[in-house]
Amino acid sequence: MSSTTADSHAHEHAPAAGRAQIGKFLSTYVFSRDHKIIGIQFLFSTLIWFLIGGLLALGIRWQLAWPWAEMPVIGKMLFSAEGGQISPEFYTVLFTMHATVMIFFVIIPILAGAFGNFLIPLMIGAEDMAFPTLNMLSYWFMWPAFFAMGSSFFVAGGAAKSGWTSYPPLSLTDLNGQTLWLIGLTFVGVSSMMGSINYMTTIIQMRAPGMTMFRLPMTIWAMFITAILQAFALPVLTAAGFMQLLDRLLGTGFFIPPGWTAGNAAMASGGGQPLLWQHLFWFYSHPAVYIMILPAMGMVSDIISCFARKPLFGYKPMVYSIAGIAGLGFIVWGHHMFISGMNPALGMTFMVSTMMIALPSAIKTFNWLGTVWGGNIRFTTAMLFALSFVSMFIIGGLSGIFMAATPVDIFIHDTYFIVAHFHYVLFSGTAMGVFGAIYFWYPKMFGRLMNEKWGKVHFFFTFIFLNGTFFTMHILGAVGFPRRLADPYHYQTFAHLQSLNIFMTWCAIGMVSVQSIFALNFILSLFLGPKAGRNPWHANGLEWQAPSPPGHGNFDFQPVVYRGPYEYGSPEVDTDYYPQTQPVPEKELIPAPAAH
Amino acid sequence: MGKFWSLLFLLVPVLGVASFVVAPWYKFWLPLDISEHGHTIDHLFYFILWLTGVVFVITECVLFWFLWRYDSKGRAHPVQYTHGSHSLEIVWTIVPSAVLLFIAIYQMNAWADSKIHNPGAGPDGIIGTADDMLPTLEVTGRQFEWRLRYPGLKAQGKLGDADDIFVVNDLHIPVNEEILIELKSADVLHSFFLPNMRVKQDAVPGMKIPVWFRATQTGTYDLVCAELCGWGHYKMKGRLTVESRDDFNHWLEQKYREQTATKDSQPTEKGDSE
Amino acid sequence: MVEALTHAAAHSGADHAGNGHASHVSLQYHPGLPIPNGKLIVWLFLSTEIMFFAGLIGTYIVLRFGAPTWPMPHEVHLSEPIGAFNTFVLICSSVTIVLALEAARASQSTSAKGWLLATLALGSVFLGVKMYEYNAKFAHGIYPWRPHSLIYEKADLNYAAAVRLRLEALKSQFDAEDSSLKAALDPEALETDSRVVTLREKLAVVDDEIAYEKKAEITAATDPLNAERHVALEDLADRIMPLVHDGGEEHGLNDAHEWLRLPIRIPGGNMWASTYFLLTGFHALHVLIGLIVFTLMIPMTLDVARAGFVENIGLYWHFVDLVWIFLFPLLYLF
Ligand code: HEA
Ligand code: HEA
Ligand code: CUA
Ligand SMILES: [Cu+2]
Repeated sequence: MSSTTADSHAHEHAPAAGRAQIGKFLSTYVFSRDHKIIGIQFLFSTLIWFLIGGLLALGIRWQLAWPWAEMPVIGKMLFSAEGGQISPEFYTVLFTMHATVMIFFVIIPILAGAFGNFLIPLMIGAEDMAFPTLNMLSYWFMWPAFFAMGSSFFVAGGAAKSGWTSYPPLSLTDLNGQTLWLIGLTFVGVSSMMGSINYMTTIIQMRAPGMTMFRLPMTIWAMFITAILQAFALPVLTAAGFMQLLDRLLGTGFFIPPGWTAGNAAMASGGGQPLLWQHLFWFYSHPAVYIMILPAMGMVSDIISCFARKPLFGYKPMVYSIAGIAGLGFIVWGHHMFISGMNPALGMTFMVSTMMIALPSAIKTFNWLGTVWGGNIRFTTAMLFALSFVSMFIIGGLSGIFMAATPVDIFIHDTYFIVAHFHYVLFSGTAMGVFGAIYFWYPKMFGRLMNEKWGKVHFFFTFIFLNGTFFTMHILGAVGFPRRLADPYHYQTFAHLQSLNIFMTWCAIGMVSVQSIFALNFILSLFLGPKAGRNPWHANGLEWQAPSPPGHGNFDFQPVVYRGPYEYGSPEVDTDYYPQTQPVPEKELIPAPAAH
Repeated sequence: MGKFWSLLFLLVPVLGVASFVVAPWYKFWLPLDISEHGHTIDHLFYFILWLTGVVFVITECVLFWFLWRYDSKGRAHPVQYTHGSHSLEIVWTIVPSAVLLFIAIYQMNAWADSKIHNPGAGPDGIIGTADDMLPTLEVTGRQFEWRLRYPGLKAQGKLGDADDIFVVNDLHIPVNEEILIELKSADVLHSFFLPNMRVKQDAVPGMKIPVWFRATQTGTYDLVCAELCGWGHYKMKGRLTVESRDDFNHWLEQKYREQTATKDSQPTEKGDSE
Repeated sequence: MVEALTHAAAHSGADHAGNGHASHVSLQYHPGLPIPNGKLIVWLFLSTEIMFFAGLIGTYIVLRFGAPTWPMPHEVHLSEPIGAFNTFVLICSSVTIVLALEAARASQSTSAKGWLLATLALGSVFLGVKMYEYNAKFAHGIYPWRPHSLIYEKADLNYAAAVRLRLEALKSQFDAEDSSLKAALDPEALETDSRVVTLREKLAVVDDEIAYEKKAEITAATDPLNAERHVALEDLADRIMPLVHDGGEEHGLNDAHEWLRLPIRIPGGNMWASTYFLLTGFHALHVLIGLIVFTLMIPMTLDVARAGFVENIGLYWHFVDLVWIFLFPLLYLF
């Protein structure tokens, strides 16, 4: 933001007409082609949606703790029809939209859109993306999606309510909400596709002199491989989405079993296969779960190495394991369909591949531990969040092993064990990593530091509350507590679990409310935060050599790269960090570029 | 402060393990297993629980120890300036892959027994031969109830002839007998979930999916729908009654009498669209 | 945090000095690949397109080989020669676009323009032929959307019912026309009037078909266990549109009298229509986009400066061509 305020200041010397200034404002903030502004636009949009997704989650939690109880205050406003209580139908809307918002409007765009956009050119020493206009479009294509999903709450029949997986035939019987959901998803897909091919081109073609592939920061490697995943997995979902749209609107029968009639989707045409959708959906959505964590892994690696003041342990194995995860990610989708009626023999092969995909993650985990070992650890807020990512990802990952074991999955499939699993990887993992990244790169984005004391308060309570909420889910899962149930307590098997759910709900309420600390810290620091220099953390990456915030064109000197980004505590120099652009002290290879 | 944060991370393994230790005391644990094959699944669950538990405790404690030990506050020693260790990488690639492969192979039989060795295909494994087992009953999920269809007692237990017996949501099975269910769906996806039987299988419209198990204890238990099937998903509840052969036969006859007395209780043929 | 603040203080000096869009330097890079960015991103875009069509084609394969029966090309009025011709047209267009590129590289803008127009023409021919093919399908009531097409999966009672409804509709319509003609014309002209004659012929056809249908439906409906049941209905369906398994064409009523448009029995026909229109439709869409770009290029001067652009759109066009090379055998031959 302030980068461009500075920008516009420079131009306000000229006596510009009001209209010209409006045009100026629009071109710098709204229709900007500057990757930094676009990244920040993504960041703000996704944070708003994060809040919405969180509130939807609270709706879920409320119903699960006190089923059919009238909601205090807002209940009467929201659903006066049901006397202020959540209707079973609306419950299905709640978790469907909660998941949709969190995955497609928060985690994916905040990783690729916000941080990918902001960091890629800065970290590789480019002045912008290869195709700035395409980049701008990739943001503006999110808005039709925002509108489609947002408006779907108000159309007849309400928003989509077939789960974020929207399995047919159920999703075919749903009303307009599902149509809008599919349209929204298509736009998100197009947006991500534009972004990903742009990122790949930029990373391949626009690295600063000396920035070889194996001198790239892990963040860039992760973004690069994520972009590849996007480019190859997303089109399949888009195709599937079109087919479901055609089934709904036109009357084709791709996912409609022979002679099937139900709801408003009664069609004689048929011969389709419901399971086909599941295959296509998971062919995208399993790679997608790695799309939702690899960038976080990359950013966490940078943060940990920086605050351990120590080189990243096993750089190349880290890179290869990211690539390994991406590769294997394409051949494990069937593990979501073990009991779907898919040929059980197939289930066996998918089980083996799924087991194997744990391996690269294992390598990454151990290397993070290796990085912390023998370091000189500074417990900044960013570092705390990064460390919690490692700690929490281990939990989320290990619970994945239970489900990968096909016989165990028979029992825990579609129970809260799954819900625990993916909240540990997605919230406790990725979202925590994102918080860390925000605290870490905020000074570069806005030129000011966030408040560390309140940051740590935010971390402490988030950490406590999220474990209170999500760890308990494992135990519910062990009892077989099914997911997506508006009221499970009329089953004798689950009746006694309400106490646990009430506990979880209180934790969730706590978790959401402490985010207000973050929100305040985030917004106030924009104006009150202490000015950050170019390199507040004494980090090595190229982005830290640029001004904070970087002006238009990012660099006020030609960056030349002499080494990898993790040379902390190197004996070559007496500082405990060794920026990538700093020439080797005595025997200078190249005359140093006219730096600041 | 560093020490404080390290301890916070130590809480993770401590409380994590603790909660799994105390949970069973409050019955927050695997429900009673009344099936013959269930113990293999539970055994696998415990096996993986122990294995991952050990990995969990070790990794988390190591993390804690490093944080505690290498806190920058109060000590300015040079850091371990290393870019990694080839031998270590090899170790922690080989060991986990061995472990994972072992799990993968170790579980295969359990899976085969519960999903592949279909008694409906008989010992020869081919469906439609003389040695095949006839389905005990046909279960059809529909929004939002379980439609059960038993073969009448007279016509040597064949489904689909005049004396079939139709029941809704009230699943009775004889104890200690192999049960073979033909699972179907009349409308959308459902999932046939018997928590105490460690059985779960999606019902897919347009497919006939076999489900088999053997109950070892009499009593009444829950039949749950575990796949989202619409607003009423949460109330698509059935009851499983496991009883002796005699009781089961009595129950069937009684049902048959009720049904013949009130013909209107007969559901339409819609239930089984081929 | 104290450290960060002190650093901030330390650096803020250097900071405002280099808050530096003012001293904006144009940076140099070391590209990883020896090709222009535009070309690279087009390749990447095409790889996403490949995955898109892979999804569609995968769907087709799964559905087709999962289906119990699949119609023969003739039953759905699919003509290999036309398809082959279209394939040929597309391949030619791929050649012409290459020639356009060569000309552009040599800065012969006019000849480049010529080849571009040739490509445009060939592409339009392809679309034209596609339209013709689609029309043939629609004419025979073969399409995958509501209101229900004329396709029925099997010749059962509600197929027969559908046939009856259509026939009765026709009959009442013709009767109406007949009486109106009677009113309009004077009696002696009536017998000779061509319209009346054709109408009477049509009525004759409809009447005896109604009679046949009634018989079939009754034999089928009366006692279900009768073996005649299926035979009767199958015969009914065969009269209207025979299934051709040996590929040899026979003519049914629907072919004899275009205007009849009676419901037809094509096992797997609905799924076939769904997939056929899905695949060819999305391909046609891609062709159309290509043509639009070509049209936009007409005013440009296609010299060396534009050669890169011509090359990129050419890549796209080759891809569209390639997709068709896959679709043609898949849909027409196998
Ligand atoms: C960021 C997202 C993310 C990530 C990273 C993962 C990672 C993994 N997931 Fe997860 N998964 C989801 C998101 C994610 N998942 C979501 C959203 C769903 C539910 C979708 C829905 O139904 O709504 C899901 C569902 C899901 C299922 C389906 C369950 C069911 O529906 O029945 C399965 C089954 O195999 C599975 C497995 C795994 C495995 C094996 C990993 C592995 O990659 C984990 C590897 C990591 C580790 C193992 C930990 C670290 C390693 C060590 C400490 C070394 C030592 C370990 C050993 C030797 C075991 N996941
Ligand atoms: C990234 C993914 C993500 C995230 C972050 C979350 C976050 C949360 N989820 Fe969700 N969830 C899913 C993905 C996610 N979930 C998915 C995929 C499903 C499956 C749905 C299905 O079955 O189809 C699911 C389902 C699901 C269920 C099961 C519903 C059911 O099956 O019946 C529950 C129940 O407790 C739940 C709870 C929560 C809670 C309490 C949070 C909390 O962590 C939320 C806390 C909220 C915040 C922390 C936001 C605070 C705001 C900010 C930080 C922004 C600050 C603002 C400014 C700076 C302007 N979720
Ligand atoms: Cu039936 Cu859920
Ligand atoms: Cu998965």
